[in-house]
Amino acid sequence: MAIQVSGITKQFGHYRALDQVDLEVRSGELLALLGPSGSGKTTLLRIMAGLESADSGSLQLHGEEALGLSPRERQVGFVFQHYALFRHMTVFDNVAFGLKVRPRAQRFGRSEIKRRVMELLELVQLAHFADRYPAQLSGGQRQRVALARALAIEPKVLLLDEPFGALDAKVRKELRRWLRKLHDDIHITSVFVTHDQEEALELADRVVVMSQGRIEQVGSPADVYDHPASAFVYEFLGQVNRFDCTVADGVARVANGALAIPTENGVQGEAIAYVRPHDLGLSPSAGGPGRVSGIHVVGPDARVEVDLAGLTLEAEMDRERLSFLGLRPGDRCAVHIDRARVFPRR
Amino acid sequence: MLAKTSGQRPALDDRSWVRGLLILSALAFLLLFLVLPLVSVFVEAFRRGVGAYWDALIEPDALSAIHLTLIVAAIAVPLNLVFGVAASWCISKFDFRGKGLLITLIDLPFSVSPVISGIIYVLLFGLHGVVGPFLKSQGIQIIFAVPGLVLATIFVTFPFVARELIPLMQEQGTEEEEAALVLGASGWQTFWRVTLPNIKWGLMYGVLLCNARAMGEFGAVSVVSGHIRGETNTMPLHVEILYNEYNFVAAFSVASVLAMLALVTLVAKTALEWRFGAELAATRH
Amino acid sequence: MVAASSTDDAALPSSGGTVLSVLKKPSVIPGFGLTMGFTLAYLGLIVLLPLAALAVKAAGLGWAGFWNAVLTPRVLAAFEISFGLSLLAAAINAVFGFVVAWVLVRYRFPGAKIVDALVDLPFALPTAVAGIALSALYAPNGWIGQLLMDWFGLKVAFTPLGIAIALTFIGLPFVVRTVQPILQDLPPEEEEAAASLGATRWQSFRRVVFPSLFPALLTGFALAFARGVGEYGSVIFIAGNMPGVSEIVPLLIVIKLEQYDYAGAAAVATLMLAASFLLLLILNLLQAWMRSRHAR
Repeated sequence: MAIQVSGITKQFGHYRALDQVDLEVRSGELLALLGPSGSGKTTLLRIMAGLESADSGSLQLHGEEALGLSPRERQVGFVFQHYALFRHMTVFDNVAFGLKVRPRAQRFGRSEIKRRVMELLELVQLAHFADRYPAQLSGGQRQRVALARALAIEPKVLLLDEPFGALDAKVRKELRRWLRKLHDDIHITSVFVTHDQEEALELADRVVVMSQGRIEQVGSPADVYDHPASAFVYEFLGQVNRFDCTVADGVARVANGALAIPTENGVQGEAIAYVRPHDLGLSPSAGGPGRVSGIHVVGPDARVEVDLAGLTLEAEMDRERLSFLGLRPGDRCAVHIDRARVFPRR
Repeated sequence: MLAKTSGQRPALDDRSWVRGLLILSALAFLLLFLVLPLVSVFVEAFRRGVGAYWDALIEPDALSAIHLTLIVAAIAVPLNLVFGVAASWCISKFDFRGKGLLITLIDLPFSVSPVISGIIYVLLFGLHGVVGPFLKSQGIQIIFAVPGLVLATIFVTFPFVARELIPLMQEQGTEEEEAALVLGASGWQTFWRVTLPNIKWGLMYGVLLCNARAMGEFGAVSVVSGHIRGETNTMPLHVEILYNEYNFVAAFSVASVLAMLALVTLVAKTALEWRFGAELAATRH
Repeated sequence: MVAASSTDDAALPSSGGTVLSVLKKPSVIPGFGLTMGFTLAYLGLIVLLPLAALAVKAAGLGWAGFWNAVLTPRVLAAFEISFGLSLLAAAINAVFGFVVAWVLVRYRFPGAKIVDALVDLPFALPTAVAGIALSALYAPNGWIGQLLMDWFGLKVAFTPLGIAIALTFIGLPFVVRTVQPILQDLPPEEEEAAASLGATRWQSFRRVVFPSLFPALLTGFALAFARGVGEYGSVIFIAGNMPGVSEIVPLLIVIKLEQYDYAGAAAVATLMLAASFLLLLILNLLQAWMRSRHAR
């Protein structure tokens, strides 16, 4: 186990940023902390790095209790959201910093430092920018310098705070793939914070979904997407239709029975049902309960809005399927629900 | 045509006679109140020629005044520099209660009349002061001696460095320091290698203004000095004595050295602003 | 795998002792105790303790004694002169400082950058130098004094008018330096909007630009005023220093001190200090109020 978080709690004034958080990070994995702002994900990351103190709990880095250690003793690599590059130092000096500030006894010689730095700059493909200053680099390049700088101290774990947050969409995608590849090459235990579900699902080995200082679910990307453990995860990940319903005898009835959905998890009474748009099937039916109120085509996909007993549902399908069904705005239709999750209403 | 406008935004252009009138009145005002007094210092100084000017400067009392001024500044400025850095470090890098009050207290000496800045030390350390009799029994003299001059100078130049650095360091935040700490730097390494290089121009700016005021201060040091020629007279006090003795050429000669100091300060300050305007922007709200 | 004891504050990184942690949020950045300790000690020794000595000395007079020392015709006249003439000088600076700021921001003319740099001269020039230069200029045989005497029969140096001249010099940068940055950052779109809505140039200045600049103008005015009230070095050479006519408060304090009337000097100084703090307080309240009204 690379990182073991147990019962970590953190309070800012009256605001509880983290509430009894337990988490295990496995050696060599790339883990995403995903959640909306204020969910505590960045606080958790900063506590791992020692940049924030915890009020209670324990944190072990490679089996060693770390809460009492200062950041400089923890040997973690940290990539800041806005990179925090030293603006008065060249790219080379930024990357070399962690090696130059070591106690004299552990410090490498000048040529060894140079060799290591250049090696890292090769790794992040910035070797010929060594003499530039941060202000002369693009956002993506700065981000790679920050990464090289963090890796220079040979950290046991790498922590990244919103690593792609400050980049534009195109660079973000490229860099994401590049980081995944880098991780596959060097296999350093990494934790990154993001509020972007697509980023987390695409990049991470495992995803930790957080909300209001608690962990809602931990699992593989497919796991958290296909089997959300809570109403929050359902709403936070991907598009979802949400209806109030009443559950009796394993059947959830929506809008006074206009829709009846079979359920499995034994919830009874007032509840909320979640259905992904692509799990919602439509078929043309002159006497059907639904009426197509709008069709939006975006690239190869089509979104169909359906009015059903005062509710607005959203179905998603590819364009071929839509033209096969021949649905047009105003048509009546039948609605089938292949899959739904029901959670008791709070 | 005297004045050109940007021509970029017609809605912001004033009529040419308005422009001319405003520029002329601004320049006339500045000529009358800034340029003429400055020029007159040098004209009066050289009224009897270069020889008389030079004699006034190398006369022993003048030399001792110059010497004393340098000593006072050499003590007061570094002390306020260290204070300014320490104060802005704890104010800008940490969150604590009473921060606003602390900043107000640091700015306090700016709103105190120079005369009062001197008097408070007389009332504290003078013969009839709170601890004066005790100091006298110990043979320590502060008022009418160099320590008093230094204290009064420190008081009037107290906020200069801190008030330049506080907004600058607040704007820079703590991320770079955190990055340095995570990379294994100690507190001192972080300060010397990361923080100091980031604030050096703002620091220099503050020291420049602090020094100009320290060397030129009159009211506060006048009260604590006792005006002992050759012993407790700084340059501005020496100017006063010479002037009151109707030795105008000598007074203006010494004054011209101070005026030169002011001009050098202005040039250096302007150069810093042009070169590092963006970095210093935070300090000029 | 045992959880660390959760109450042991010292085991957590960077918590600065138990007393401090009540007042201060924890942080990993070191040096709080050292820098805060030094800051408070230095502030206390250099600024607060001596100011307390002033208060102690003034309080030694007792309530009645204090007012007896302060409510004399000479002291009252000095206050009237100091505050009145500072007000006059600040008003002159409000007008011309505004014009200078406008010209520097809005127009381009040769030498503008030099003029801009020169505005700070009163901050840099030692007050004693300014004092003797102004009194030489405005003395009856000086460059300007002579002209004023010949043309208008006006005597400036060694009269209250001379004091106003010196205070104008000393307060000159304040209005310029408070108005200038605000004018610089004023969005030009507002004036363009006014023009497109049919306003004349004067109307758009009067109704759009000036109201935005007014808080800054007022701030500069108050700063110049406060500076004028306390000013000493540049004034005493040109003032003439006649009790009741051209004697300013700071000079009166010095005179009392030279006559070993320490308590009297402390009383007058305390009153002046209280007046300038009151002024500062009013200014801050005014600014806060205006900021809440003109919040952008």
